[in-house]
Amino acid sequence: MKISTKGRYALEAVLDLAYHSSDELESLKNIADRLDKSKNYLEQLFVILRQNGIVESIRGAQGGYKLAKPAKKITAGEVIRAVEGELVPVACLVSSKDAMSCSRYKSCVSRLLWKGMSDEIDKVVDSVTIEDLVLKYRDMKKETIEYFI
Amino acid sequence: MKLSTKGRYGLRALIDLAVFSEEGHQSLSNIAERECISEIYLEQVFSTLRKAGIVKSIKGAQGGYLLNEPAKDLTMGRILRALEGNLSIVDEKVKTEIEKNDIIYCIYANIWSKIDDKLNALVDAVTLEDMVAEYKKMNNLLPEMYYI
Repeated sequence: MKISTKGRYALEAVLDLAYHSSDELESLKNIADRLDKSKNYLEQLFVILRQNGIVESIRGAQGGYKLAKPAKKITAGEVIRAVEGELVPVACLVSSKDAMSCSRYKSCVSRLLWKGMSDEIDKVVDSVTIEDLVLKYRDMKKETIEYFI
Repeated sequence: MKLSTKGRYGLRALIDLAVFSEEGHQSLSNIAERECISEIYLEQVFSTLRKAGIVKSIKGAQGGYLLNEPAKDLTMGRILRALEGNLSIVDEKVKTEIEKNDIIYCIYANIWSKIDDKLNALVDAVTLEDMVAEYKKMNNLLPEMYYI
């Protein structure tokens, strides 16, 4: 049971964007270079993130991306779900079609465990905002610099 | 993000075995029939479970399977790790990336490893015995309830 690279890269790219676009727009190329990811792949993810109101793009020679709303208003869960869909280990937890087509829906014990797992994942990703992550990242950087001094 | 068929069907078949082996060992064809899972598929799953020491086989014409340990000693964590491999939410590949990049490390430390901790704590706290009790409750297999 794994998060796909879509979910992982999207969250990494949004944190990188949030950190670098506080004053000005940031280009995808810079983000891709820093994260060592393909720019084309990030472009596809950013189309979805833009449609979901998480990032916005400004066209033109000086164009680029920035967050579409304040970092404290975006949760990690929102970013991951935008590209990944609901974070459930089995389809019957969200799709009523899958649930209804299953004859054991009402007597399925495993489903209780899958629901418990899904709730744990939701609790983590919905309690952390992009702003929290930027602050953690800044603290991390500070510690590294102090270490070198 | 989905569990494999092996994880889903394997756990279902194992709960079935735990419930019905209270009456004696169970053949795979019985489990397959009750749970509507192909018997050939169950053979693969049970071979994995046997290697992990979770079930044992009784040989012979009237053979079948039993739990290898009491249901209260078998946690969901041990069962799912046998069926699914490690239960980390991210690929092993991330481990090499976090060493080279602080952003990737920051997300790993604050999101993925926290999810891993919560999921592992959850599955290690639930035993097969707990699931059997739920099964009986949901399937009205608790006759004593009617006498209370």
